[in-house]
Amino acid sequence: MAEAFPVKPKLRPTSSKLTPTPEAKYWRSFKIPKDIETTPSKSFTFPINSIAFSPLAPHDFVATHSASVSIFSGKTLEPKPTISSFSDTAAAVSFRCDGKLLAAGDLTGTVHVFDAKSRSHLRRLKGHAAAVRSVSYPRAADKLHLFSGGDDSVVKYWDVTTEKCVFNLLGHKDYVRCGDASPISDEMFVSGSYDHRVRVWDVRVSNASSVMELNHEKPVESVLYLPSGGLIATAGGNFVKIWDVIGGGKLLYSMESHIKTVTALCMGKVARGSGEEAEENRILSVALDGYMKVFDYAKLKITHSMRFPEPLLSVGFSPDCSTRVIGTSKGNLYIGRRKAKVESEEVVGGFQWKIVEDDPGRKVLRPSYFRYFQRGQNLKPSEGDYLIKRPKKLKMAEFDKLLKKFRHREALVAALNRRNPESVVAVMEELVARKKLMKCVSNLDTEELALLLAFLQKYSTMPRYAGLLTRLANKVVELRAEDIKSSDQLRSYIRNLKRDVEEEIRIQQSLLEIQGIISPMLRIAARS
Amino acid sequence: MFTGGKSFVSSPPAFSNDAKRLLVCTGNTVSVFSTSTGLQTCELEGHEAQVTSVIVVPATNPASKVLCYCWTSSLDGKINYWDFAAPELMRTIDIRFRIHSMVIPSLLCQRTDSTGKLPVPDLYAYISTEDMKQEGKPSSFAIQKCNLTKSRLVCGVTLAETRKPRYVTISPSGKYIGTCEKRKLRIWEIPAKDSEHVGYKKVSLHHTRPITTMAFHPNERVVAAGDVTGRILLWRGVGRETFSNSKSSNGRMNMDREDMPGVRDTDDADSCTTWHWHSSEVNMLFFSSDGAYLYSGGKEGVLVVWQLDTGKKKFLPRIGSPLLYFINSPDPTLSSISCADNQIQLLRMPSMEILRSISGIKLLCSHMDMYEGFGSAVVFNPTAGLIAVPAENYRVQLYSLFDDREISQVQICERNHQPGDEITVKVNLVALSRDGSTMCTVETRLPEEGIGSLVTLKFWACGSQKKQISLSTVIYEPHRDAEISCIAFRPTGNMAVSSSHGGDFKVWVHRHELTPKDETVQRSGWTCHAVGSYKKKPMSTAAFSSDGSVLAVAADKVITLWDPDRNTLLAVIGDSLEPITNLTFVGKSEYLVSASASRGSKISNPQLTVWSMSKLCAAWSYRLDIEAITCSMDDCTFAVLARSKPNGSADKSSKHAEDVILLFNAEKAVPLSVWFVSEAQGGGLSFVSSDEDKVSGTLGTDEVLAYINGAREYVLLNPHSEQDISRQRDFTNLDETDTHGYASVYGELPEFSLKADQTAFPSMPSGKTWKGIFSGPSHALPPLPKLCSDFLESLLERRSGVVE
Repeated sequence: MAEAFPVKPKLRPTSSKLTPTPEAKYWRSFKIPKDIETTPSKSFTFPINSIAFSPLAPHDFVATHSASVSIFSGKTLEPKPTISSFSDTAAAVSFRCDGKLLAAGDLTGTVHVFDAKSRSHLRRLKGHAAAVRSVSYPRAADKLHLFSGGDDSVVKYWDVTTEKCVFNLLGHKDYVRCGDASPISDEMFVSGSYDHRVRVWDVRVSNASSVMELNHEKPVESVLYLPSGGLIATAGGNFVKIWDVIGGGKLLYSMESHIKTVTALCMGKVARGSGEEAEENRILSVALDGYMKVFDYAKLKITHSMRFPEPLLSVGFSPDCSTRVIGTSKGNLYIGRRKAKVESEEVVGGFQWKIVEDDPGRKVLRPSYFRYFQRGQNLKPSEGDYLIKRPKKLKMAEFDKLLKKFRHREALVAALNRRNPESVVAVMEELVARKKLMKCVSNLDTEELALLLAFLQKYSTMPRYAGLLTRLANKVVELRAEDIKSSDQLRSYIRNLKRDVEEEIRIQQSLLEIQGIISPMLRIAARS
Repeated sequence: MFTGGKSFVSSPPAFSNDAKRLLVCTGNTVSVFSTSTGLQTCELEGHEAQVTSVIVVPATNPASKVLCYCWTSSLDGKINYWDFAAPELMRTIDIRFRIHSMVIPSLLCQRTDSTGKLPVPDLYAYISTEDMKQEGKPSSFAIQKCNLTKSRLVCGVTLAETRKPRYVTISPSGKYIGTCEKRKLRIWEIPAKDSEHVGYKKVSLHHTRPITTMAFHPNERVVAAGDVTGRILLWRGVGRETFSNSKSSNGRMNMDREDMPGVRDTDDADSCTTWHWHSSEVNMLFFSSDGAYLYSGGKEGVLVVWQLDTGKKKFLPRIGSPLLYFINSPDPTLSSISCADNQIQLLRMPSMEILRSISGIKLLCSHMDMYEGFGSAVVFNPTAGLIAVPAENYRVQLYSLFDDREISQVQICERNHQPGDEITVKVNLVALSRDGSTMCTVETRLPEEGIGSLVTLKFWACGSQKKQISLSTVIYEPHRDAEISCIAFRPTGNMAVSSSHGGDFKVWVHRHELTPKDETVQRSGWTCHAVGSYKKKPMSTAAFSSDGSVLAVAADKVITLWDPDRNTLLAVIGDSLEPITNLTFVGKSEYLVSASASRGSKISNPQLTVWSMSKLCAAWSYRLDIEAITCSMDDCTFAVLARSKPNGSADKSSKHAEDVILLFNAEKAVPLSVWFVSEAQGGGLSFVSSDEDKVSGTLGTDEVLAYINGAREYVLLNPHSEQDISRQRDFTNLDETDTHGYASVYGELPEFSLKADQTAFPSMPSGKTWKGIFSGPSHALPPLPKLCSDFLESLLERRSGVVE
């Protein structure tokens, strides 16, 4: 027994990207909040060199650009007044572990320390002979010291209260452009330099040379201690490398999916559900190619990548997983925020189901009531009930119905009117299978022919449909030459079609040329 | 001999009296199917040629409903009488003429005079016979009378002689029989008391077109006939003058011809009306048992129900195949339609919904051979004993060789098939992997004026039960617009190769992929692994070696050997005279068999060659036209199906051309065994590993040779010994608990008989006797001694009543 089959377009190859992974969904859920989208202060004219988040809630963050440091409220994302007491461009910024103080280095070689709340200038640490591009407070508990690295290739360990340099850590042979403090120890930190080396320092070892030296093989742009304190991620060139520090500086993995220089790294977290265990650490890396990549260093896999229209310079991620900030070389700040779910949960919690009981005095429904005819319609099945599913209604488009009635020309016109090229081609293929397409074409009146020609002009050079449509266009022109000649409108369609086809032929020829160039190379490559 | 794949629709089936069984003529046997389950319950074996008709002896009273007797006639010239409940052959009548059709009118008449005491009159059958004369002379056909009681033909009674075999139609009352003959109908009246010497009254009705079928009204003199153009003619009052006995009909002779609208010349009928709905030939006509409706069906596959008085129509559309026969059953809610695609549909009657269908192997559709290059051959799954048969309605039927039963059908492309439509889309290649887990199909859409052709390759994943087959991968235009010539699966592992006439082959591999969402669910699909071509020559066929390490692809006249994993050309062997059509590696041995022939040309040099893979040269060869090659899985034997005549000259006279199956050992050029077969064109051959439960007689080896001919009938042969394969089929038991109609609602009616009626209510006579004895005034009572005896007598009578 036969059934009705609606006309279906050809299947397209599916790729896994079409269905977003939960992780991709998570990263896409960082959206620019509507209310700050329009405020101009999120965009600056100068490159945003550095971004830092306060370790304390509500996780204010700062961004350095030109000779000023902007502080944003972590709650509202509104910009607070900027600190602009720099004499040159500010290059690096870091919060103290309690979030009360803020250190920033500038290109004159001075490290400035501010009160994060009042923005009052507290200390000036002078000592670097060239620009300070790396400043970091210890991350664990030490509130008195500070590391900085400068273009004079010296890494300094400061005592902040006395504005004195405790150690000059020598060893780098080129600009020190990045550094990070260990998350578990106040005495350990790491610095990366343009001499391709990454050095791990321990201030408990007094002899002023590094504990460990890692060769990144490219000028190091960014370095990051991973939360365990045993792994280091370094970025430089167009790759990111993961090192095992405890295991003697072994290279674990090299992630090479950026196509331009990776400029910054930061830790990100994927929050799944609730609870501490549900959070998984990721490395966020941004590069000049405009991509932000999310790297899962447990599985050594890139789990998400996101494109931005400008070269990216800096990235920051709030410790509570709510905000993600990316700074670009053109001064734009992409602030993404996830919607908090806490509020909605409250709503759910406050709602209670009420059990509606029939009051015994209720009247028996009679056919004279309208409700009599609706009774039982909203009844939910109980657990033991056997559900008989209503047969699924077959959706029939208009052209399907017409095809079913063998009104072929009308079906073709109906499909053309829907302007969905896939369904039009599917209807045409069905007509070919019925050997009725030529008859349909010859029966079209002028307006419908115009519709068909417009469609052919638009899609006959598209590779997916070209196989059928170019030949059909040929046939249409052959069959309806007289009609086309007599109408100006149709002639203009044909002119456009001709132009498109000529363009396509040009493209094909140049592609053939390219193929001719490439194929000997491929052959040589295959031989070697 | 284990045969199967017979046609179910060669002649009309018959219902048993209780409508629980359906008797279907299947080749030399009659198969009995249960109507409640649609499964075969038993088989009547005894005829030596095709059974042409089966007639169930109708029940004369409700008690005899359980009796299961039937008459069958066959082309071997025998009429058999069976008890099909047992099943048991009761009697055989040999009349030494081929019987094309048989009717027994007296079986239908008997119902009226079944009082019993009269001597049972002789049973007469009217048979359409063929007298086989000497070779060369056309055989003559006649309708003759046969005395079934005395087991002989009635001499001298020949109702008609014709040039073609006629199908005899009988009226439901058994009073008339008729045949259609070109443009006229012939109708005979069967006298109520049939005897050997009796005259027949005859009526002819004429029409302008060839008549294809006819039907009688159950109780009026109405005859319906269908012609080749789709018209249905309805004559009323047929034979009023000829058949009625009264003299008063003479008056009608004077009446004007205008009172008989539509009736031609001197035909004896009151009126003739024409209905025209069918667009082509009407194949079947049938009056409903009350005579109010006429069922008709034809090539369109639509059952039309005409209301006889008004001519209003009701339809059962989309049956999907030309209709051949319509039979109703003693149960008024059940009837059956036989369709040309070897399927019998059981209908629930007033609502005309299809309850279930009994389907045989799909027959080769008539116009498949019109399109050259459209393979429509069946493919074998050697391990499971399955064959996959591409059918006309865009489906592939999976058929079990050992059970002789359809397993399932798969819709390959989502289209509806209308019988009679021009073919534009066709499933032209099917392949099954050795383990049966994957099926691969190729469908082609033919272009309209050069545009819109499409070749689609589809991979299907088969479930464990061979029932759930799901689409895995669709590949559009796998070889550009070139047609695919062959698909072969690697015996080990998930790999397939498709070769095309366009000059390349592609190796496909099955890939599993974890879905990102739920990592337990695997997404799998087939992707292209490698593409190869050899000097742009058309690739006609491909084969994997049994360990899967070598892929042989035939490129026109040479064989190229490839490493399928690394896609490197290993060697090129051979240079045959004709393009290679068939390639097979012989089991686990080092031999490769190739067959080459040029299809279509008159002068061809067909060749069968065995190549040694170790020496890369030909071992031996024959000049044979090969239709199919198969090799056994283990040892180095292989079998070929060779045709005695080249393909081009397959004309009518090749009917007796003997095709041959040869069994070879690859090491020697002397065949091990030879079988002669017929109709090899389009046939197939395969070694099938036998299931020991089903088949006995395969000593030593577990492989049998299955051969299927062009008419889709198959036979299983034992390749290694003379012993035949016998069949032990397990028929499902007839489900007796199922009830229909009245019985299903109210339960069985108690049996009534006249005798029982007389002695009913056993307590009543005793009461009556008491009343009779003591009625009346007391002074009129008889004396006590007399009364006492009466009283005792009444008591005795009462007892006897109870006992009875």
